[in-house]
Amino acid sequence: MQANPNTSDTASMTAMMVQTKDLALVIRHVLAGLGHGLHAGRERGAGVEFSEYRAYAPGDEWRRVDWKLLARADRYYVREAERDSHVATWLWLDATASMAEPSREIDGVDKLWFARTVLACVAAIAQRQGDAFGLVVCSGGKVEFTPATRGPRQLQRVLAQLSKARPEGGLPSAEVLKANLHFARSPSLIFAASDFLDWPSPLSEALLRLRNLRHDVRLLTLRTQAEVDASFKSGAGYRDPEQSDGLHRMSNRDRESYKQQSRAHFDSVAGSCRQNNIVHYEACIERELGAVLRSWLRLAGPHAK
Amino acid sequence: MLSSYPFWWFALPVLLLPIWWHRQKRQRIKAEPLATARFLPVAAPEQLRVWQWRDRVLLLVRCLLLLALIAWLAATIFPWRGNTVLLDAGADKAWAEREIGAAGFSDAPRIDLPPDALQSLRQHERDWRPDARLLIVSRAGQIAMPARLPRFSHPVEVRTMPVTGQVAAPSTVRHPVVLSTSPVNDVAWRSLFAAFEKAGDGGNRYVMATIPDAATGLVVWDVPGETPPAGWRAPHWWIAAASAQAATFPELKNAAAITIHGVTLRYVDSPRGRLWTSEAFPPRDADTARVLYEAWQSLSAAPAPAYPMPSQAFASAGASTATFIDARPAAWLAYVLLALFLLERILAHARRN
Repeated sequence: MQANPNTSDTASMTAMMVQTKDLALVIRHVLAGLGHGLHAGRERGAGVEFSEYRAYAPGDEWRRVDWKLLARADRYYVREAERDSHVATWLWLDATASMAEPSREIDGVDKLWFARTVLACVAAIAQRQGDAFGLVVCSGGKVEFTPATRGPRQLQRVLAQLSKARPEGGLPSAEVLKANLHFARSPSLIFAASDFLDWPSPLSEALLRLRNLRHDVRLLTLRTQAEVDASFKSGAGYRDPEQSDGLHRMSNRDRESYKQQSRAHFDSVAGSCRQNNIVHYEACIERELGAVLRSWLRLAGPHAK
Repeated sequence: MLSSYPFWWFALPVLLLPIWWHRQKRQRIKAEPLATARFLPVAAPEQLRVWQWRDRVLLLVRCLLLLALIAWLAATIFPWRGNTVLLDAGADKAWAEREIGAAGFSDAPRIDLPPDALQSLRQHERDWRPDARLLIVSRAGQIAMPARLPRFSHPVEVRTMPVTGQVAAPSTVRHPVVLSTSPVNDVAWRSLFAAFEKAGDGGNRYVMATIPDAATGLVVWDVPGETPPAGWRAPHWWIAAASAQAATFPELKNAAAITIHGVTLRYVDSPRGRLWTSEAFPPRDADTARVLYEAWQSLSAAPAPAYPMPSQAFASAGASTATFIDARPAAWLAYVLLALFLLERILAHARRN
């Protein structure tokens, strides 16, 4: 196992980020860390479809002519770097009760906070690139739907919706989800953050359906370090926040079977994603948020259309 | 700490009851939420029974409540009085101070001598701490000699004023009377004593004087608004209703009243002597004068007991629980009990919510 000397720094930084209620501030902090990748790779970077040059045609705006290329090639080219104006970004937040699972190592951090912050960063990136973006929040058996548009005001709207999300209830039923998939007509990019403890579930089926409709679906599965290590306090009673199937116990004997079962579950999730050509990334919420975001977006790169 | 009903202390094991309550096993219903609980085996609820202390404050209050209740039922008494002087209000101040100093009670608190001194002392003896000593200072003839030697659990010393010639001789026919009246009532008073001389066997003679001497048995004071001269002493004083004002005779404020043959007499002991006053002073008619005579005759022997107790000291006879039988428990114990009960209810209510 590789020891990370920055673990405590990461923890204190994350703990500090949790303190603020201002998502915009956190986004600035995270994206500042991401800075170089974002600016230098503006065209090649995350979320931007590959751009191309095309020959100048009368009627094109002069400001869209690439003057450097003119100097090099002595021909007029227009940058078709239209930031995928027809590609909308959809942020999909799972805010069910199980997302309240806290990190047992860093105070104040839970899965919902992590998911909401990552999605807020994606929204900020999309906004900077001029993409339209919308938000889908699944909470308490309902779907909250924010239509996709562009601009800083949309970013504020989405951030407000993200901050408002509270972990409660279960996933919406398949019918409810299906009724809310009307955005599926145009091609879009879907970033979904959840713990994916229910798989298959109405959520997974909806995502698979979207994938089959040629949407680019990217999943972020959140876990905690305690879940990975099965390092829960033994002797205590536990209950599932979404299912009322009584008490569960944790003893030292149960750790191994817990590890095996959870590993098998997430392997099946990953397998299912691979089968359906869905980008799937699994991360612990104790990791540095910027690093997780970078890895997730980079993983998406080769799979991009 | 003394108890009248010490067998109540056998109820102390009741304290084990709340302890057992608070200590018993309960099935734990609290469980932490865990998103991945589905990967853990389901636990039977019986396996989560715990054996631990709960609500320690409530347990403490309940134990204290039971303890206070038992102490209250056992009529626990907390003696609080130390060395004390029981002082007769009518005793000569200077003589009393001398006696108190000689007995070594100079800085002991003083309380008034109750009417039936030895009997009431016996009843309230539990108020005194075991190491306390008592001193009774009184005039002669105020404390009756009991037939049997009284037994106290504290050392009690009795100091009575030595008998002087001022006590009226039992069967003399001469009654020296000092008459100090206003001119209006002078005739009424003189005719009253003239009637007294005729009454009974006619053997009484009332000798009028204006200044008391050692033999004076009675001073009649009927000068409204004036205080008698400081040096005047007599065993009995008759004070006319018009003169018995609070300004001139402040002692009369807490006078005791007796009614004999329809005449109400109020009397109080003061350093001057026993002060008497009545609406019938001076009597308006012959009937009132006769009734007053009868009342006075019936009273004249009463104040002095047949066998007055001389000065003497009683040693402590050791503690006897017999005197505590009708004792009442300390009053503050009841308040403590009430407060604890309220506290217990509040805490129990707070725990439920």
